Amino acid sequence: MAPRVVVMGLASDFGCQVQMTNIEDDLLDVLGLIDLSYWQLASSGHMPAEYDVAIIEGAVTTTEHVELLKRVRATAGVVMVIGACAVTGGIPAMAGQGDLEERYGCVYGADGAEVACGRVSPAPVKSVIDVDYEVPGCPMDTTEFLRVLSRALQGLANRVPEEPMCAICKTKENICFLDKGEICLGLFTRTGCGARCVTLGRPCTGCRGLAKDANVESAMKILAAKGFDVDEVAERLAVFNTLEEAFCR
Amino acid sequence: MFFRVMESSRLPDLVRGFAQDHEVIGPVAKDDRFVFATIDDPAELRLDYDTTLLPPKKLFFPAEDQLMRFRVADNEVLDDEVFAAPRVLFGVHPCDINALLLMDNIFLKDYVDPYYKARRDATLIVGISCVPSEECFCNAWGTDEAHWGFDIFLTDLGDRYFISVRSVKGAELLDDFVETREITDADTADFQRVTAERKEMFAEDLDTSQLPLLLDAKFDSPVWDALGERCLSCGACSMVCPTCYCFDVRDDLAPDQKTGTRSRLWDSCQFSEFSAVAHGQNFRDSRASRVKYRYYHKQWGYLSKFERVLCVGCGRCARACAANITPREVVSALAKGGFE
Ligand code: SF4
Ligand code: SF4
Ligand code: SF4
Ligand code: SF4
Repeated sequence: MAPRVVVMGLASDFGCQVQMTNIEDDLLDVLGLIDLSYWQLASSGHMPAEYDVAIIEGAVTTTEHVELLKRVRATAGVVMVIGACAVTGGIPAMAGQGDLEERYGCVYGADGAEVACGRVSPAPVKSVIDVDYEVPGCPMDTTEFLRVLSRALQGLANRVPEEPMCAICKTKENICFLDKGEICLGLFTRTGCGARCVTLGRPCTGCRGLAKDANVESAMKILAAKGFDVDEVAERLAVFNTLEEAFCR
Repeated sequence: MFFRVMESSRLPDLVRGFAQDHEVIGPVAKDDRFVFATIDDPAELRLDYDTTLLPPKKLFFPAEDQLMRFRVADNEVLDDEVFAAPRVLFGVHPCDINALLLMDNIFLKDYVDPYYKARRDATLIVGISCVPSEECFCNAWGTDEAHWGFDIFLTDLGDRYFISVRSVKGAELLDDFVETREITDADTADFQRVTAERKEMFAEDLDTSQLPLLLDAKFDSPVWDALGERCLSCGACSMVCPTCYCFDVRDDLAPDQKTGTRSRLWDSCQFSEFSAVAHGQNFRDSRASRVKYRYYHKQWGYLSKFERVLCVGCGRCARACAANITPREVVSALAKGGFE
């Protein structure tokens, strides 16, 4: 029997679910292997009571999300998280730094805090439940999604690259942004996208999360010694990695 | 080996001649750096290049190389043949020629690697003399000159090239495409002068006389810990190194899960995963142990098997390392017992 798959979104812009529709060429092949019982972006019905694989996008921002995740974990044999929000807390996690209450007020008005009832400080899915497979990135890379999905279907272990971006970047013969006087977060960021941004001419923004092998302390020192503003480096790093240190080590 | 002389103005003819039956690959500009790329017009060739971002190894042992496809149902191997079209690698510096010879020890000796061999056999090597840059220390290992490993080697004498011809194929092609003449005593004298002048240009003499004994004695040196604190475990040093040959093998299934590809990808001993084994054990868990291992492999392990160090002093790792960890610095820190 084909595995029953559900796809759901927590707090996010659904960009990674949209990425799934961008698989076009291979989507039919993939759909031939699974029983796609629910896809939040495309379904109008409800989530079924039983399923085998849960694919989750988005950060945890409410107690409702927390409860949902617990139910999902109890139901699904395999939990796969996709995209920066779900994997690292991503951009939503930035909101959790400082006074969350005040921020809700700013956005939703005087009684904003009540509107967003049951809010929790934005966090990655792994902070609530065990995660079996991860597809990081903002948005996630479709090729990597297919590769990870294939591993999940084959029952192979999750394989998260642990090393920083620079090695693959060198294999593309890019000229290092640091040599051009521009901040690049490749030193911190886990590899796996083929240094896509740098190869297309933009510095790495760190959307894939901290590399387990990254030497954050040394990288900061090195960037400072090269004359970069480390506060700016930290600020840029925070866009996708506010909570990463805590979960990485 | 025999020698010929060619007027410098003839160089484009030589390149065009090679291009008739070969893909010609040579150094071209990429912003303010250089890369080896296919040459369509001899004018693109930048024989004045200092070094390339990646060494020629990428042409024989690509960073990502599909080795074969396979069918899942019956494990049948599909498409595992290597197609290597004839090509000329034009303008290789002595360090990189020597690096290929060190690679040959790995890929062509005990276990012949068919992928590497096919590409190596299909490629003629044209060497070019160079002017040492600040990062170069090939002189420390005696890899500043290439005595074999090329088909022809061009030494720039200003208005003409002094050509060392090493292979029959090189001699034939040279003869086919370009007018050369016998060398005279004046040519030889100029060749000697240019060679001697170049030797004087190296930034400093790195004292490698104590290796590998130095490494034996300094296994527990605090130098390694200091390097471990700095190292970013980024592996850039291995990627750009013309003599690093480690690789990982990865299988990927097609979206329909019916067929798959097996690929080989460059790897680095600086990644923690490199030394991870079953049960979550890792015998080189610390950065310090990994940096150390890089040097022990290059200046000790390989040396003990092949009587050469696994470094040609090209300086690419020194340029690529954001932490500025360089073989020069490491060897002298070990000798002095610490950093300056
Ligand atoms: S450009 Fe960025 S990713 Fe590439 S080597 Fe430099 S720091 Fe690393
Ligand atoms: S170790 Fe560094 S200097 Fe030596 S061959 Fe490799 S890249 Fe060149
Ligand atoms: S072990 Fe390290 S230093 Fe040695 S060849 Fe492999 S990557 Fe290079
Ligand atoms: S390039 Fe430098 S920082 Fe990166 S792994 Fe090599 S020695 Fe360490």
